[in-house]
Amino acid sequence: MTQPFSTTQATKDAFGGGTERHVPYWIERFLDGWAIYRKNVIGRIGVVLLCLFALMAAVSYIPQWVNPIYNPMTGVDPQISYSTGPSFRHWLGTDNIGRDLFSQLLAGARVAFIVGITSALISILFGTTIGMVAGYYGKRTDLILMRFADMVMVMPTLLVVLILSALFGQLNIWVIVVMIALFRWPGVARVIRSQTMSLRHRPFVEAAIVAGASRFRILFRHILPNVMPLALLYMTFRVTSAIIIEAALAFLGFGDPGTVSWGMMLQWVWKTGHMFQAPYWLLPPGICISLITMAFYMTGRAMDDVLDPRLREEEIKR
Amino acid sequence: MKTPVSMLTMSDVTKVYRVKDSLLGGAGRDVVALDRFSMTINAGEIYGLVGESGSGKTTVSRLIVGLEPADGGDIRFDGTKVMGLKGRRRKNFTKQVQVIFQDPYQSLNTHFSIFETVCEPLVIHGIGDRQFRRARVCEILDTTGLTPPETYLNRYPHQLSGGQRQRVAIARAMVLEPRFLIADEPTSMLDALISFQIFRLLNHLRESFGVAILFITHSLAAARNLCDRVGVLYRGQLVEQGTAEETIMNPLHPYTKALLDAHPRFGSSRQKAYGVLRETERPIPDVDHCPFYPRCNPAMDNICNESTPTLKYLDSGRKVSCFLF
Repeated sequence: MTQPFSTTQATKDAFGGGTERHVPYWIERFLDGWAIYRKNVIGRIGVVLLCLFALMAAVSYIPQWVNPIYNPMTGVDPQISYSTGPSFRHWLGTDNIGRDLFSQLLAGARVAFIVGITSALISILFGTTIGMVAGYYGKRTDLILMRFADMVMVMPTLLVVLILSALFGQLNIWVIVVMIALFRWPGVARVIRSQTMSLRHRPFVEAAIVAGASRFRILFRHILPNVMPLALLYMTFRVTSAIIIEAALAFLGFGDPGTVSWGMMLQWVWKTGHMFQAPYWLLPPGICISLITMAFYMTGRAMDDVLDPRLREEEIKR
Repeated sequence: MKTPVSMLTMSDVTKVYRVKDSLLGGAGRDVVALDRFSMTINAGEIYGLVGESGSGKTTVSRLIVGLEPADGGDIRFDGTKVMGLKGRRRKNFTKQVQVIFQDPYQSLNTHFSIFETVCEPLVIHGIGDRQFRRARVCEILDTTGLTPPETYLNRYPHQLSGGQRQRVAIARAMVLEPRFLIADEPTSMLDALISFQIFRLLNHLRESFGVAILFITHSLAAARNLCDRVGVLYRGQLVEQGTAEETIMNPLHPYTKALLDAHPRFGSSRQKAYGVLRETERPIPDVDHCPFYPRCNPAMDNICNESTPTLKYLDSGRKVSCFLF
């Protein structure tokens, strides 16, 4: 063991001083993981794509700030009253009432991120908590929670949300987000449960029990940090499914009419009969939806490699 | 010599692990881990529990601290039943009884720094403020030989060696100054030199804190080195008990002799001092004969295969469970 200071000084100096600086374990682990992640081509592509979309979402406020006619929802170009193709004034063209498609596309990126990440976060929150409780308590608690999870899992999310929105009329985007989240937690819960069950009998957990730790403390201080990476991995997959569901809902005409999402754009193309007349209108949102879901999926796949050493080894052998 | 004050008593404790019947035939067989096991540990002594793998040594420790419920019998600490303790009474109990686990690579949470690990029992029991806890953690790290303690506080388990980790585990167990410590094969994952240091540390803890230690091991040498009394466990039954020196230098029960024979020695590899072992395989015991009968050379037919021996008190203060005595 090397010591930067003499022994006597280190023992004298109780605060700071002689103490070596150490980064918290999770940061170190993150950096280690990142080093492996970087070697993964798929993961790199995913991250680059995500950065691009994040940039789109970030600059989506600029067009309307430059000129109100570029407002994705309410801005109408007074000189144009029909759909036009790309021009210098409108980079991707306009829709049939003269709204700028490029600014709509940018706003769509923002909505996709909000929808994807919030609903994924909520479902991860539910899934992790329920999975940990079921896995740790076991017995009847486990049985009840997991049968409930099974019931939710077999419900076709899209269909149920469609029926609900047909019943209650047009839904607010946040209601859609929460509904997607409420239907997507069981998968996460299952994985976290099995992980918790294997952690429950590990000696460090038993040491905490012997020290008199409460169940709450064991769950959140000891087990949670150990299942967190897995939860984050599942989050990327949940983001993908949330974006797809929101797009499908919007395209089918059950989206939030007050929000410009890519699904909404597709719905407008279709409704106004420009499906095959205006590729400049149809293609960008379609491509964006595919790319962003692919990007999240790729990120998740690469994270899987980081978390599962067996996958990683195969990767090296190849 | 002071009269020993009994601290922990286990009487007729039984633990059966039920193996579930599988769906496609294959009847489940119950595994008897402890069979009417009785033991008393006195205040301030080191009691060694010796036995081969699967003899139920670890089960004893798990039952005492309540990690698993016993199926029968009684465990008392200071005269109070410890099985099924709840709430504040259990917390009080955990303050006095702590465990050092076998594998120091598994018993420390990798996400906790050494300070957080050792400090956790203090936090759980709400002892002291920040400054006090820090001082206390440093003090106990110093006692367990991690010096200077300040350099360890912010480290993480993966930055330490096995011996250092085990010292951290010991520090965590000792930080509350328990009166009873269970050391469950604390050195089985460590090399001989480090093991010896750990034994010395345990002995030091006993001398300076007066803590009683239940030392679980498969090594007779370690038991003799460290313990005041030893108990030999076979198939969940205590077969012999006595002072460490006497039991190991002059074993009575054939199983204890067999254990000693199994000890590797320089030179005389063929020669067995006792030669009591008939079978090296360990058959599944039937209920109605001495559990050691199928492997026992000096066993007496018509006696040993027909009834189970009970623990007999000999004049010398030793106990042995065998028809030969």
